[in-house]
Amino acid sequence: MGRPDLNRRQLLGGLGGLFVASSFGFAALGTGADALAADADTRVRYWNLFSGGDGSNMIAMLDAFRKANPDIAVKDSTLQWGSPFYTKLAMAAAGNRAPDLGVMHLGRVTGFSPGRFLDPWDVGLLAKYGVREEDFNPALWKRAVIDGKLYALPLDIHVQLCFYRKDVLKKAGLLGDDGRIVPVTSADEWFDVLKQAKRATKKGLQTIGLWVNDQNFQWWFFVAFYTQFGGTWFNAANTEVTFDTDKATQVLQFLRRHITDGYANPGFAGAAGAEQFLNGSPFVWEGNWSVPVFSGAKLDYGATPLPPVFGEPATHAESHAFVLPHQSDRGGPANEGAHRLAAYVVRHARQWAAGGHIPAYTPTLSTAAYKALNPQSEYVSAMDHQATEPKVWFAGSTGILAQRVGPIVVASTLGSAKPETAARRMKSALTQLLAMKNPMDGRTAAQGGAAA
Amino acid sequence: MTTAVPVKPRKPWTPSQIVLTLLGTAVSVAFLAPFAWALFTSLKSETEAVEVPPHWLPEDWTGQAWKALFETGNITNWFVNSVVVSVCVTSVVLLVSALAGYGFARTEFRGKKPLMGLVMAGLMISPAVLGVPLFTTVQQMGMVDTYWGMILPQCAPAAMVYILYKFFQGIPRELEEAAFIDGAGRWRVFFTIVLPLSRPSLAAVGIFTFIASWNNFLWPYMVTNNPDLMTMPNGIATVMNSYGIQWAQLMAGGLMAGLPLIIVFVFFQRQIVAGVAHTGLAGQ
Amino acid sequence: MMATSAQTVTAPARARTAADSATLRRPQGFQHGGWFVAPFLLLFALFVIWPLLRGVYLSFTDANISGEGASFIGLDNYREALNDPLMWDSLGHSAYFTLLVVPCITVLAFLLAMLAHHIERGKWLWRLCFFAPFLLPSTVAANLWQWLFNPGTGMINYVFGIETPWLTDKSYAMLAIVIQTLWWTVGFSFLLYLAALQGIPGHLYEAAKLDGANAWHRTVHITLPMLRNITGLVVALQILASLQVFDQAVVMMDFLPGPEGSTRTFVQYTLEEGFTSYRVGYASAISVIFFVIIAAVALARMWLLRNREESAR
Repeated sequence: MGRPDLNRRQLLGGLGGLFVASSFGFAALGTGADALAADADTRVRYWNLFSGGDGSNMIAMLDAFRKANPDIAVKDSTLQWGSPFYTKLAMAAAGNRAPDLGVMHLGRVTGFSPGRFLDPWDVGLLAKYGVREEDFNPALWKRAVIDGKLYALPLDIHVQLCFYRKDVLKKAGLLGDDGRIVPVTSADEWFDVLKQAKRATKKGLQTIGLWVNDQNFQWWFFVAFYTQFGGTWFNAANTEVTFDTDKATQVLQFLRRHITDGYANPGFAGAAGAEQFLNGSPFVWEGNWSVPVFSGAKLDYGATPLPPVFGEPATHAESHAFVLPHQSDRGGPANEGAHRLAAYVVRHARQWAAGGHIPAYTPTLSTAAYKALNPQSEYVSAMDHQATEPKVWFAGSTGILAQRVGPIVVASTLGSAKPETAARRMKSALTQLLAMKNPMDGRTAAQGGAAA
Repeated sequence: MTTAVPVKPRKPWTPSQIVLTLLGTAVSVAFLAPFAWALFTSLKSETEAVEVPPHWLPEDWTGQAWKALFETGNITNWFVNSVVVSVCVTSVVLLVSALAGYGFARTEFRGKKPLMGLVMAGLMISPAVLGVPLFTTVQQMGMVDTYWGMILPQCAPAAMVYILYKFFQGIPRELEEAAFIDGAGRWRVFFTIVLPLSRPSLAAVGIFTFIASWNNFLWPYMVTNNPDLMTMPNGIATVMNSYGIQWAQLMAGGLMAGLPLIIVFVFFQRQIVAGVAHTGLAGQ
Repeated sequence: MMATSAQTVTAPARARTAADSATLRRPQGFQHGGWFVAPFLLLFALFVIWPLLRGVYLSFTDANISGEGASFIGLDNYREALNDPLMWDSLGHSAYFTLLVVPCITVLAFLLAMLAHHIERGKWLWRLCFFAPFLLPSTVAANLWQWLFNPGTGMINYVFGIETPWLTDKSYAMLAIVIQTLWWTVGFSFLLYLAALQGIPGHLYEAAKLDGANAWHRTVHITLPMLRNITGLVVALQILASLQVFDQAVVMMDFLPGPEGSTRTFVQYTLEEGFTSYRVGYASAISVIFFVIIAAVALARMWLLRNREESAR
């Protein structure tokens, strides 16, 4: 027994050694398993934050691009949406290991240190691949230009929507002749609708899901209704807070009432709202990116912008945009490939609209194929009534503004702070933020922040 | 059950043993239930997974989550990365801390006492405590988003040096001295006499290091931005595989990240238990 | 003793300097061990000592994440930190978590170890069941419990027939994380207790049995005192680990600070300041404060141990 055992031991030892050695070899190469497999001439590394339905649409568009441009290998990577994504993009840019192409929310571009973390687009190169300024909504394009240079190429506009189940609303008598939800123009009307819908709802389900515990969603809803009220944030020079606590209080009371009147169950906050909707709950307020999820589940549903209960219709809107994360040696075929890829995706955004987004490339909007999309055609008007965060360095999707003010909205909605108190706290948070220096350049919003 | 012929005489089923065994079974079921829930969820369709109210067993058994996991995700990449990082960390830690433990236990050099004190102080520092400065250090070295950036900062565990130091102190000096008299150099003594003697301790340190490194989240999370380079725990938590939080897939991925160590544990239970207990107890 | 006799044999021929005299009594083979510790010290200096020094330095600057253009601002960061409610909140959350976890885990680990130790059959099975969760990566264990606690579709509420908003209400969120942590990490302390139980000499129990002590008395008068050291170790390790809680809290809360910020831990706050707000200088300052707290806990334990040893003498 001794000898074979010894041999086996030697064999195992040898294999183990080989294994350790190859691990070190792998680590020394340092590129990751996937890079070893790629063999195309140009490799474009592309980071995005698209999950859910968006993820599959983006992948389909990338596949179409790959087919049309076989000489370019696109290595796409999806990261967890939210703060971690921006952290990682910033850290990669700071560490000079940035991907060739990235996606950001347009609102974050101002604060993302254009020039340091972001490189400007080569507009000539974009034009060569068929994307020109006149193909975009001028206001949208202007938001992407900082110091005369284009730092972001808008892909879409996405909005917060009120999703409703037609089967439940029909039972409640809340569907019009056109098969859409009856129009709502005031808070009282809205709560009447909820009251009737509640009667038609299965037991054990809430009436509406509105992410009552989520600091991002609650903040977006607040921005939407506050804008409906005509509320403002700062004066034009960004030196003074013009936040109106009376209007804010009313908005906060409105949000809170969904819980106190028993329509939203805090136990089903968060993503469970969508799960409840799938199970038969009549309403959910969600981003338009939930369209493919609900369509995929074969629900009979519709979607409108958030109800205009405070006057002017307005719903929170953001925009996904392509950016070039800073690389100290940007240029060459990878950079050109990034331009070509971004231009291709922006121009072929019909597929992207299937994800519920409103394409930024306007020629797409007038196509018959787009007009046939449902429920997209029901809420396309949201594009004309955008409620956006102020253009300051600390704003933008999941930025510091949302991080500081969002929890206050949540506290009020959940009832742990009185709406009046919360409104005052919001104002003082805004005052603090306005005085805060951007850590990237040591300047406040009034001094231009990172916009320079 | 009663027909089995035991090799050694069985202990009788006293009432207290029956009660204890029942209690143990109940607690075990509670401990294992989450695993079962994860497994059953991973075998449902995504819509069935979020049905209200929930039910344990899938009505339609389907492998779609597992299939989708391998088709759409980076999961195989992450698995390879986890193996590479853990193997490298474990080998470096074993080598470096065995050398250092021996050096502190058995050799003399200038400044040994203060250096030992410094190493003891190092026990209090971890990426959780000083993550941001550690990140900027690694950033300065240009190692953000590299395997080395993930591996090397995990390779200076003061605790492991301390454990081996204590162990080497317990080896009788006579063994080494005899070898010195025979004219062996101290490196040869270390590799041919001391190391073979310390196999159990090295195994303990190795096992503990491997588990810690395989499961490490915080540091890889801070230092990797590129999803190609992520390890299992990091990838599962931060990168959605393009299709959102889909519970069936998430559970399948989690099982894939967790099961290797658990399977290894089933086979090498005695060694692992001894290793973990040994490492933990060394802190006494 | 052996050392002196060996020295006479291998006594060095060459003259020694004064500095070498300290090692004079050691045989040659044990000298100049610097090379043994060099590789470790290099790594240790690069990845432990240097970051510590760098952290202290950065804490006096307004450095940002890009690593450029930091200027010295004295004690401003520390002054801000002491007046920063979010810092105190997050410190409080970590402390609250520690306060809940440490006693629960210690008691539970002890009970499980007693159970596994006293059941005569299938020891390996009990060990496997209680220890298996510890082998899961933190993020996997956290995702799993996020799913168990999920409203509507989660098993916890369903099995117990309740509707507790575990992850969405600030009065339950931390509790949910504590429960997850108990399940996930109790196995480690359980193993330490089990090893210690097996180390108690059997003759102590035999003697007590002869004296007519029942099982309860044997536990209270023999087992518990014999486990005092290990309990001290378990508690100390748990305190240090719990204060540094991060993984399970962020993953269960989808990388947000929980309902109304109620589960934002200290580590999470340092990372938020450093990597989300890009304020590396400020993040370094609060990290240094955290380091001082951790060091104080560790030193307190060493001091307690020394006191006990001295009083035992």
